[in-house]
Amino acid sequence: MSHDQMKETTNQAGKAVDNDLKTTAPAADASPMSLAQLRQELKGVKGKRFWRSVDELANTPEFQAAVEKEFPGAAQEWVDPVSRRGFLKLMSASMALAGLAGCTKQPDEPIYPYVKQPEDLVLGKPMYFATAHPFVTGAIPLLVKSDEFRPIKLDGNPEHTYNRGSSDVFSQGSLLDLYDPDRSQHVTYRGENREWGEFAQALRLKVASTKDGSGIYFLSTTITSPTLARQWKAVQAAWPKAKLVQYEPAVAGTWVVNGPNVQYDLTGADVIVSLDADFLSGAAYPGFHKLVRDYSERRKLAGKDLNRLYAVEGSPTTTGYKAEHRLGLRASEVPAFTAELAKALGVAGVDAPAYAWSGEQQKFLAALAKDLKANAGKCVVIPGLYQDASVADLALAMNSVLGNVGKTVFVSSEPAVPLPSDQIADMKSLVADLNAGKVDWLVVLNANPIYTSPADLGFPAALNKASIVAHLGSRLDETGQISHWHIPSAHYLESWSDARSYDGTVSVVQPMIDPLYGGKTAHDVLQALLDDPAVSAYEAVRTTWKPAIKGDFETGWRKALHDGWIDGTAFVRTAAPKVQIAKVPTPASRDAVEIIFRPDPNVYDGRWSNVGWLQELPKPVTNLSWDNAAIVSGATLTKLGLEEDDIVELSVGGNRVKAPVIVAPGHPDNSVTVYLGYGREFAGRVGSGAGFNAYLIRNTWAPLYAAGSIQKVDGKWGVAITKSHYQDHRSETFGGQGKGNNSLEADEALGPRGIIRYATLEEFKANPNFAHEGEGRDTPASDESLFPNWQYEANKWGMSIDMNSCVGCNACIVSCYAENNIAVVGKQQVRIGRNMQWLRIDTYFEGDLAAPRAHFQPMTCQQCENAPCEQVCPVGATVHTPEGLNTMVYNRCVGTRYCSNNCPYKVRRFNFLLFSDFETESLKLMRNPDVTVRSRGVMEKCSYCVQRISAAKIEADKENRPIRDGEIVTACQQACPASAITFGNLNDKGSRVAKLRANERSYQVLADLNTRPRTTYVAAVLNTNPELEETPVEHAPAKG
Amino acid sequence: MAQIFDRSSNALARMSLVLTGLIVIALGVTLDQLQRSPWVTRQGQRPDQPVPFSHKHHVQGLGLQCQYCHTTVEKSSYAGIPPTKTCMNCHAQIWTNAQLLEPVRQSWATGNSLVWTKVHDLPDFVYFNHEIHVNKGLGCSSCHGRVDEMPLMYAQNTLQMEWCLNCHRNPAKNLRPTSEIYNMAWKGPSEDHPVWCSVGEQKSGVPTADSVNCVTHNPAEAGPQLASLELPAGAGHGTVADVAAAKLPAAPIYQKFTSQDGLGHFLLKQYKIRTPRELSSCEVCHR
Repeated sequence: MSHDQMKETTNQAGKAVDNDLKTTAPAADASPMSLAQLRQELKGVKGKRFWRSVDELANTPEFQAAVEKEFPGAAQEWVDPVSRRGFLKLMSASMALAGLAGCTKQPDEPIYPYVKQPEDLVLGKPMYFATAHPFVTGAIPLLVKSDEFRPIKLDGNPEHTYNRGSSDVFSQGSLLDLYDPDRSQHVTYRGENREWGEFAQALRLKVASTKDGSGIYFLSTTITSPTLARQWKAVQAAWPKAKLVQYEPAVAGTWVVNGPNVQYDLTGADVIVSLDADFLSGAAYPGFHKLVRDYSERRKLAGKDLNRLYAVEGSPTTTGYKAEHRLGLRASEVPAFTAELAKALGVAGVDAPAYAWSGEQQKFLAALAKDLKANAGKCVVIPGLYQDASVADLALAMNSVLGNVGKTVFVSSEPAVPLPSDQIADMKSLVADLNAGKVDWLVVLNANPIYTSPADLGFPAALNKASIVAHLGSRLDETGQISHWHIPSAHYLESWSDARSYDGTVSVVQPMIDPLYGGKTAHDVLQALLDDPAVSAYEAVRTTWKPAIKGDFETGWRKALHDGWIDGTAFVRTAAPKVQIAKVPTPASRDAVEIIFRPDPNVYDGRWSNVGWLQELPKPVTNLSWDNAAIVSGATLTKLGLEEDDIVELSVGGNRVKAPVIVAPGHPDNSVTVYLGYGREFAGRVGSGAGFNAYLIRNTWAPLYAAGSIQKVDGKWGVAITKSHYQDHRSETFGGQGKGNNSLEADEALGPRGIIRYATLEEFKANPNFAHEGEGRDTPASDESLFPNWQYEANKWGMSIDMNSCVGCNACIVSCYAENNIAVVGKQQVRIGRNMQWLRIDTYFEGDLAAPRAHFQPMTCQQCENAPCEQVCPVGATVHTPEGLNTMVYNRCVGTRYCSNNCPYKVRRFNFLLFSDFETESLKLMRNPDVTVRSRGVMEKCSYCVQRISAAKIEADKENRPIRDGEIVTACQQACPASAITFGNLNDKGSRVAKLRANERSYQVLADLNTRPRTTYVAAVLNTNPELEETPVEHAPAKG
Repeated sequence: MAQIFDRSSNALARMSLVLTGLIVIALGVTLDQLQRSPWVTRQGQRPDQPVPFSHKHHVQGLGLQCQYCHTTVEKSSYAGIPPTKTCMNCHAQIWTNAQLLEPVRQSWATGNSLVWTKVHDLPDFVYFNHEIHVNKGLGCSSCHGRVDEMPLMYAQNTLQMEWCLNCHRNPAKNLRPTSEIYNMAWKGPSEDHPVWCSVGEQKSGVPTADSVNCVTHNPAEAGPQLASLELPAGAGHGTVADVAAAKLPAAPIYQKFTSQDGLGHFLLKQYKIRTPRELSSCEVCHR
């Protein structure tokens, strides 16, 4: 196929693409291209030209090596000098013995029945209980699947108005955190095992001896439990000089802990502006679940108008990539830009610092201000969490001026956390008191200050001056190691507590299992100092909410536990307050390097370091797993003479760390983003040693972004990035480029098949059928196959994924981990492409390297009707079911991997080694009993959650009825906050999935291969602002 | 040079060739048989158990119903192994000093489980579900044999995949009316012992078993008392008002079955058993 033809088909949507594909195709020759050349090539490209990673664009040797093999690096495994002859000898011997191995008998299996069985327990049927995951940005109401009283799956509470059943990576991952074998298991005093009672007595005697509590300090993470806050107030009343310091590294110094309590409602927002607010990528932003749901509801083109998202951001996030229009600014420029925007909107008394804005920035500002004014009352301005306080103030002022308050923005005078405080100032004064020798006992409650405290405070040295340090924590972490007392803390699934969700509604946190290791909670520690130390957390929580529960208390309490929330406890909404706008800081010089600190999207502040699921999960934007990195722009990389994966030294205020450097498309120049939460020393067997510790360069004077420097040092780090694994070797005749040096995915996205299809709203209105125009975009006629067509008489399962809604937050992947007992393989195995996730989110970038747009495509087994995998399996281990699933029969699989070779979607995963942990006792409790734990040498892949399908079929057959639409919910669908995934029966014409499939925007990926996939994608429609539309913009190379 | 081997050794060479072939075949057959033998399948073996519990005594002798102990057989994948409490319901009163029951009393006193050895042990990659079998007309004895005649428990069948598929490919040969599920002595209809079945109206959401009524005596010969008991199918699930509002039922029409084949195919249709193609699909049991 000639380039001209290709160009024509890529232009199918009628968009004027003025770039010439010939000049932008990076694979013009096979020699690596420097990033400078690449930037030149891509400058101003805004057409439909997709790519998956910077490596691919530059065609570096690393990229070529990485995509060379079906499973990269796997072919090099044969390292010992065994001759072919010797190999055959060995093989024939093992073949002869293989038959005998089949004759082994099963071992005797014991049955341990109950002595007294709980009355309502039906073994084999899970039970569901409501609870909540307490989190600093607001509790996430959960419904826990409990099998024999072991929590085995966490999902959002479907009846709760906050998240309606959706969840996020943190909540999903906290299940593995519960069963982590590295949790500490004993109360210890100077390394010797003790009892909880001994500690409680020692603490109590000590406090009593002080008379007024002086010298007794508590250092806690942000207290989110109203009951714990009440208990603290009681402690304070009894011992007025005892002090509480709250310090939570991820939110210290942000408006979550001591700013205005503002909530957003995107249902009525036609225009959404994010000012460095990453509200679409994870629960680190308050209200994530609700914001994503409301945002995506307006993206489905189902009765409601499309909204429009603008993002101004200092570090690339999925929010920015999803935005119709994204402006990458340096983090320190965001407050000044916000001030300019506020001025343009007519907010009184804004003092915008003078700054030389570029033409592009001015144009963006003008268009933004115009669009906001035109949609006053129907728009919303959302401030970033990791931004200067003035941004939040200005955003609230803008929302007031635009008349959004009461419509899309709600303000409450109640604080979002029960004990708001200036955490950084408190931490400073704690260190001052430590150094002054005022601290006698320091009780650390679920915090890890040795690891997380700001570098300039010298906390570890100061801590030595306390006479006794007691540590309540889930692990013997950095702080636990040096504490005198260590008390294992109970997981939230093991203990009673309470928490408030985004809108303030209280959920009771009820335990799902007895503490596995006798853990205690902060409730127990504080209660030990009160008159009635034996009051349990359960009684304390009940006491707190007695006044709030109307009517008969016991009935109301049971209802609250059953439902998962207490009615009428939401924050009281107030009118917009008079905003006191903090001073807007002047942006730092464009030549100065800025270092941006963000909590990690997977392990947050380091608390989930030992959760393998979250470590291995490819981070949004970068697809990095098992590490954090210094994330920079392509231009900065070139300027510093670096390549990806080189080691750099970052320094802030004299402190230095070494980090690998990687590129994020769209990152502002001269700016480095580092994620916190890595470089743990005592995280456990999974997390220790991964990444570098960014806390070492984070200081109290600039906790969010700081001036620093970056320079190259020798060596390569060896990061594990899960982007392009598959190379396109095909000749031009067969749809490839004939060069063999592009990733398969990007070639396909570019080519006529159009893996990614989208249009702007105008294009869609002009041509609703845009997703199907062009040759080779749809499935050939049913007779164009050598294989007979299957008949599906009863059920015909199918899935629809809405590309317009998917925000790339990864919740689905972690949910799949838990549901399907997926193994964690470790960094080295990820590096050679052996990660086992059944579901991946492919990110396709488009256009300019400095200002890209991205498309997120969840990719999992497509359950093809004409499945290439089935036809090549020599042992019938992957077969077609009468309902159209491509079933894997693990016990038949002999591991030839032919199926994976023949899969055009590359969604099959092979157990090269024994990845599943069959030994660790605590992990056995966590596994889903309805799914086989796969052993070595077995292929596996997405099954559409066949165990859930079977359970629903049995239930329906028993009741003599067809399966209802929506009765079967796959694990990914259940977790998705954007409701982007729909599953159901295609033979039922009334089902939601059948209707979505009939939608004109639905398309199949690689349809022309005649695989007839059961998963279809709904093409995206973007509501772009014509004023900002697609004019190539010159991006000046970074100065210096 | 003289021949080293005599001509007769040609015969030996040929024989050894044939013998080698035969030995290979014999080995194959032996291994195949071994795989199906009770040595591997444990069919018919009685493992040591903490208490020599006799199903024969409790079922045939005392007349305990299966579900007294296996409580969840109709509502879960597991039939359920009774907790010690179930034993103590009676054995706190009778045989309180029996030496045989010492482990039971120990368990009750200490709170430790009685540790039984699994007799019907499927491989871990097989996901068997009791409830759907029991609800769709497959009786206990079809798989477990005459448990009421087993003093010590053993597996009547191999529980191998071919044995499962024998029925999944042709369920009709084992189907029985759901009213006879727990009947250990059920033999299926014959000329001497026919079965009469009537069918009521099928309603979506009402279990199929409720609309089929089978009896083992001729309903035409039944007295008036019996006739009044036989309400129309499905009425049991309606409200009282429904029943009152319904017209007096016409006498149900009974079909007579004298062979398992006939009854099986009748029930196959009435119980809406899935097709053999669906039932023998891999994902039904493996996932």
